[in-house]
Amino acid sequence: MRKTAFLLFVLMSLTIGAWAQVSFSAQTDKTALALDDELTLTVHLSGVTGNIVAPQLPSLPAFNVYSREMEQASINGRTSLLFRYTMVPRFVGNATIGPVTFTYNGQTYKTQPIAVQIFRDTNGNHTRGGANTQATSTGAGASSRKQNFQHLPPLQATLAKLADDRAGEPFFLVAAVNNRSPYVNESVTLAVRFYYSRNFYDAPYQKPTVSNIFMEEDGKSEGSQNIGGTRYQYEEQRYQLAAAQPGKATIGPATVHYKTGSSPFSAFDRLFGGAAVSAEKTARSNPITLSVRPLPKEGQPASFSGAVGNNFSLKAQASPEQVEAGEAVNLSVTVQGPGNLKATRDLDFPPVDGFKIYPAAATSGLAQGKNGTSIGYKIFKAVFVPAASGIYTLPSFKWSYFDPTSATYKTLQSDPISLTVTPTSKNASGVNFAAEGNPTGGFQALSNDIMYLKTDLGEKETFLAQISRWWLLNWLLAGLLIAGALFTTLGKKSLSKKKAFLTAKTHLKKASGGQEVADAISTYLQQRFDISTGSLPLRDMALSLHRKGVRAETVKIFVRLWQRLEEERFAPATLTSANTGKLAANALEILAQMEKEIK
Amino acid sequence: MKRFLFLLVILCTGSISLAQPTLPQAEELYRQGKFSAALQAYEEILKNHPKDPFVYYNIGNCYFKMNSKGLAAANYYRAFELAPRDADIRHNLTLALASGGEKFVPSGVPVVLHRAFFSLSLPELKGLVYLFAWGVCLLLWVCLVRRKWNLFTTFTLVVFLFAAGWLYARGRLSQEVRAVIAAPVAEIRSGPGKNFPASASAAQGHLLGIEDEKDAWYEVILKSQGVKGWIEKNAVEKI
Repeated sequence: MRKTAFLLFVLMSLTIGAWAQVSFSAQTDKTALALDDELTLTVHLSGVTGNIVAPQLPSLPAFNVYSREMEQASINGRTSLLFRYTMVPRFVGNATIGPVTFTYNGQTYKTQPIAVQIFRDTNGNHTRGGANTQATSTGAGASSRKQNFQHLPPLQATLAKLADDRAGEPFFLVAAVNNRSPYVNESVTLAVRFYYSRNFYDAPYQKPTVSNIFMEEDGKSEGSQNIGGTRYQYEEQRYQLAAAQPGKATIGPATVHYKTGSSPFSAFDRLFGGAAVSAEKTARSNPITLSVRPLPKEGQPASFSGAVGNNFSLKAQASPEQVEAGEAVNLSVTVQGPGNLKATRDLDFPPVDGFKIYPAAATSGLAQGKNGTSIGYKIFKAVFVPAASGIYTLPSFKWSYFDPTSATYKTLQSDPISLTVTPTSKNASGVNFAAEGNPTGGFQALSNDIMYLKTDLGEKETFLAQISRWWLLNWLLAGLLIAGALFTTLGKKSLSKKKAFLTAKTHLKKASGGQEVADAISTYLQQRFDISTGSLPLRDMALSLHRKGVRAETVKIFVRLWQRLEEERFAPATLTSANTGKLAANALEILAQMEKEIK
Repeated sequence: MKRFLFLLVILCTGSISLAQPTLPQAEELYRQGKFSAALQAYEEILKNHPKDPFVYYNIGNCYFKMNSKGLAAANYYRAFELAPRDADIRHNLTLALASGGEKFVPSGVPVVLHRAFFSLSLPELKGLVYLFAWGVCLLLWVCLVRRKWNLFTTFTLVVFLFAAGWLYARGRLSQEVRAVIAAPVAEIRSGPGKNFPASASAAQGHLLGIEDEKDAWYEVILKSQGVKGWIEKNAVEKI
C-alpha cells in the first residue's frame, strides 16, 4: 500500500512537473534585410497560467519598433501566447537583437540573442549614396541628419524637406504646393502628407479649406521616408487648384484627429487594461498663401479661351469622313495638356459653307500622366450636317492658351479635315434646310447662301448717271435756256420798239408829201404802241398815247400834227416840198419826244 | 540714258503689277477659303476703283464669309446704292440684313414698289431730273416764243416735278440709314459715355440712322426697334 502510494505520488509529481514546464523562445523572420525593409520578431510563450506580465524587449538601438501584436490560445487552462513585434532598421551594418526576458513565478526566462545583418539596399550594398525615391537612412547624429532631396521632383522634395524638419514627432501633417505665385486659371498642385512612425487608429482626415481659389481632389498615394533615423509611413492626398481672379488666395490647414496605440477593444488591451491607448490628438498642416497674378492683356489673341498651362496639344477628328448629304458628321476637337481646362470657354466653331453646325456640350476632366502629374483635357464636340454632295474641307480650328513659363500666349491650330459627301440616297432627306416646305417637282432648296463673287468690274456708268456728273454743264444749259426765254419774251419787245422809231425816222427823212409823213407815223404808232390809226378816232388815239406814258403836252402837239396831216390828205397840193420837209422834221421831233417819255 | 529710262519704266510697271492684286487673284484666294487675304486684295483693287459696285459687293462677300455680317451689310449697301438693279447685290444684302434681324424690304411695302423706288441709283435719278429740267426749259422757251402753251409741255413739266420729288425722297431716305452695327454686339446708352446706363444691346447687321455725334460717340436711332441712344463709333460702320 505504501509502495503504491509512493508510486502515485511520483507519477503525480512528474505530471505536475510536465505541466509546469514553461516554454519561452524568440525568432525573427529574417536575419538579413535592407534598410528600407522591415523585420518581424516573434516571441513564443507557453506553459504559463494565471496573470502574466508581457515579455520585456531588450534595448534595440538599431531598430524602431512600430507595431506589436499578440495572439492568445488557451488549452486545458494552459495559456499559449504569441507576441509579434514589427520593426524597421535604423542603421546599416550588423545588429543584434538581445535576449527577450520573461519573469514567471519568480523565475526569469531569456531567449537567445539574434544576429541580424542590415544592408543599404536589397542588393546587399552597404555603401551610402545612389538614387532612392525614399528618404535615405542616416546616422543618429543631428549634424548629419539633414538630407539632400534634389533628386526628387520639386513638390516631393519640398514635402520631404518639410517632413525632415519635423523629425522626432511621431505624427504630423505637412502641405506644399508646386507654385506659390500662379497666374489666373493656372493649375497648382497641392499635396498634403500625414506622416506617422507609430501605430494609430481612427484618424479621420479633414481637407483644407480654401478661399479665392477652386480645389479639386487629384488622387492619393502612400509611401515611407526615413526621418532622423526613424522610419515614417505617410499617406498623401493631392489636389488641383486654380484661381479665377488675381490677388491673394489662401489654403487653410488640413487636420487629422488621430488616436495612438491599439484599439481599446483588442485582446492586447483587454489583457493589459487598455494602458496602451493614448489620448486623441490633432495634427495640422501648415497654411499656405498664394499670390495669383493676372493674365497680361497685351498680345491676347481672339481665340484665347482662358486656358493656362504649357505643352498643350490640339487634335481635330471627324467621324465618319465619308457621308451622304444630310447625314451627321461628328467632329471632336480635343485639347489636352498639364493645366486646368475646366474653366475655359467652349470653342467657337466657325461657319462652314454648305454645312449646318450643331455644337454639343464639351466634356473636360483630369487624367493621370507620367510621374504622377495631372493632365487636363477638354473635348469640344459639334455635329456637322452637309447640305449637298461634294468634297469639303473643314478649316483649321484655332485655340489659344497662356504659357506661364514663357509668359506668352500661344495658338494651336488643327489640321484641316477633308470630307467626302455623296448625294443622298433617300427621297426625302431627314434634314431639310429649305424653309419653303416640302420639295415639289423634284426640286428641293438645300441652303440659302450668298451669291458668288463678281468676277469683273462693274459696268460703265449709264447715260443718266453721267448726266448727273455734268453739273456745271447742266446749270449752264439751264441758265442759257432761261436767259433765252427771257430774251425772247422781253428783248423781242424792246427791239421791235427800237426798230419802229428807226423805220419811222427813215421814212420821214425820205417823205416827199403829207401822205408819206402820215404813213410813217401810222406805221410807227402801230409797231410802237400797237395803235391802229385807221380804226381809231383821233381822240381815242390821243387817249391811248397818254395811257402808254406820253405826256399830255406831247399828245396835244401830236394831235395838232395829225390834224395838219389829215387836212393835207383831204386838201392836197396845199403843201410845198419845203413845208413837207418841215412837217416831217416836226413829226420826227414829236416821235423822238415820245420815245424819251415812254422809256 | 535711254536704256536706263527703259529699265526704269519696266521696273515701275513690274512693281505696280506686283503691288496691285488682280480680280482673278482675289477670286482665287476667295475660292481657297482665304477670305481675309481675299478681302485685302479687294480693298487694294477698291483704291483704283472707288466707285465700282462689284468691288464693294465682293468685299461684302469676304466679310460675310468671315462672319462679320455687319461689315458685309455695309458694303452690300454701298454696292446697292451704286447698282440698285443688280439682283445678286439685293439677294446678298437681304441675307446679311436678315442675320441681324433687319428686313431689306420694310414690312407692308410691296416688293414691286420697293424695286421700282430703287430702280435708279441716286446719280441716275439726278441725271433724270437734269434731263427733264432741260426739256422743261426748252419747251417753256418754245411756248414763250410762240406765245402758245401745249399739252406736251404740261406732261414734261409733270414728269419733271415727279422726278424731282422722287430724288428728294431718295435723298432723304439715304440720309436716314447711314450706318450699320459692325461689332458683334453693341450697347446703346442714354448718353455719350460709358457712365451712362445701357438701354439696349443690338447685334451686328442692324441699320442705324445717325443723328448727331460727340467725341467717340454717335447719337443713333435704331429704325427697326424705334430705339434712340448713343453708341460707340468703333462699333458702327458708316455706309
